Amino acid sequence: MIKLQNVEKVYRTSSVETLALNNINLTVNRGEFVSIMGPSGCGKSTLLNIMGLLDEPSSGHIEIDGSRVERYQDKALAQLRNQKLGFIFQSFHLINDLSVLDNVEIPLLYRDSTAKQRRELAQQALEKVGLSNRMKHFPKQLSGGQKQRVAIARAIVGQPEIILADEPTGNLDSAMGNEILSILQKLNEDGATIVMVTHDDAMAKRTHRLIRLFDGTQVQ
Amino acid sequence: MQRIRSYPEVESASRMSSNTPFSMSNMNNGITYNNVHTMAEFYRSDEALAQTLDLKLVAGRWFGPQDRAAQYTPLVINRKFQEKLFPNENPIGKVIKQDDKHVWKVVGMVDHFKGKGEFTGNTPAVFESLMNTDWDKNILIKTRPGTDANFEARLVKEVLGVGQGWGAEVTYLTESRKNQHNLTLVPVIVFVIISTFLLINVGLGLFGILNLNIARRKSEIGLRRAMGATEKTVSMQFLGEIWVLATFSLLLGLLFAVQFPLMNVFDMDANIYVLAIIAAVGVIYLLVTLCAWYPSRQASLVQPAVALHEE
Repeated sequence: MIKLQNVEKVYRTSSVETLALNNINLTVNRGEFVSIMGPSGCGKSTLLNIMGLLDEPSSGHIEIDGSRVERYQDKALAQLRNQKLGFIFQSFHLINDLSVLDNVEIPLLYRDSTAKQRRELAQQALEKVGLSNRMKHFPKQLSGGQKQRVAIARAIVGQPEIILADEPTGNLDSAMGNEILSILQKLNEDGATIVMVTHDDAMAKRTHRLIRLFDGTQVQ
Repeated sequence: MQRIRSYPEVESASRMSSNTPFSMSNMNNGITYNNVHTMAEFYRSDEALAQTLDLKLVAGRWFGPQDRAAQYTPLVINRKFQEKLFPNENPIGKVIKQDDKHVWKVVGMVDHFKGKGEFTGNTPAVFESLMNTDWDKNILIKTRPGTDANFEARLVKEVLGVGQGWGAEVTYLTESRKNQHNLTLVPVIVFVIISTFLLINVGLGLFGILNLNIARRKSEIGLRRAMGATEKTVSMQFLGEIWVLATFSLLLGLLFAVQFPLMNVFDMDANIYVLAIIAAVGVIYLLVTLCAWYPSRQASLVQPAVALHEE
């Protein structure tokens, strides 16, 4: 499903060169639930961003569903992100001026769909995460757990095959974190391939496979 | 007049009322024909004016010796006058009776005639045969090419010698024309400079605000890019937002602007207001587009991963 070959990421400034990822080779198979762990600054989020086509590797190859994507132009990359990938972020990244329903509809705005279709799909996604009673609310009126569930609904509304979650429970208490992970497990059981960055060993143990990074290098 | 015309340097000369071309003087009168009323500029002159001013007749003839004993005062009209009083009719031969003293017969028609310069409106005008009144003291002289200032001095001297106590002042139509143009152009240039300065100020202010506003929304841009927006979609979103805002502001402004043509403020043609409004709308859309385009383009070029880290 996702294949990374000899991926390197170097951040350069005029005076400093930082190797964020060093020779990463990994494959995530269809239907897997993979977690990525490692200390802060080891390159977990960078790796997830490269998998999610949000950032470009300095060298190496990326395959998504058998297609090499590193030479894709902006339009093709955007289409791939829209159709195949769903993102969940630690800080939720909800737009405060939009209602819950409008936030969930965002990925569908970049597809050929009518307003009615968008509304129906967003409502279904919110029902899946148990937030059908909060559709008209605004993000500021929600708790952290509810915000993250909105973010999950937004990630799944376009029915992507891959969900990339960057510390989805990082800003939540353990009970709420468990609830979010249960939702992700349920999505995985329904067929979604999930890659999750986490700091929490207990969370990582509930996934199929663990990838450990240390100083930008894959150690396990 | 015969003496002036006899100079070899003089190609043509005419006496004329005080409203000579490009002068500050006007002689407006109302004329009614078949219950249609119009105001017209009255130019009084002699039989040589067409030659002196190179006026091209498009119909009929200029008044001449045959009109001196005619029953009606001969009148040459311009095209605008014809359009007002005789639309779709041949004006030649029409008799216009204003009162017992003023009865004119149209003998000729010139094309459009703007007596005060190119920047003035195209208004009705008539040329009537000169009467021997005290105030028609102007002489228009068309000189041959190459005539120098010596001729002017000789001419003035001779004119002053004709009658005791006479005075003479020479002005050039080219200078008068330039003065008339300046009267129109100088305020326009001043307003253009002020408007340009204000537009630049508004543009810089708007650019700064939009730049700040868009920079504050980088996180949203990163999110939208992650959700499938292209660089172009992001740029267009910001442009779309500013166009919507500009449209609401323009609708509010137009409520006031349309009062000018509706209430006929400053007695100007409504088309001028309409054109000005359209031009202003175009300039405003162009300005907001230019001010929003650069920051939105810059923001859309940021890598989504980088933009998502901006809070």
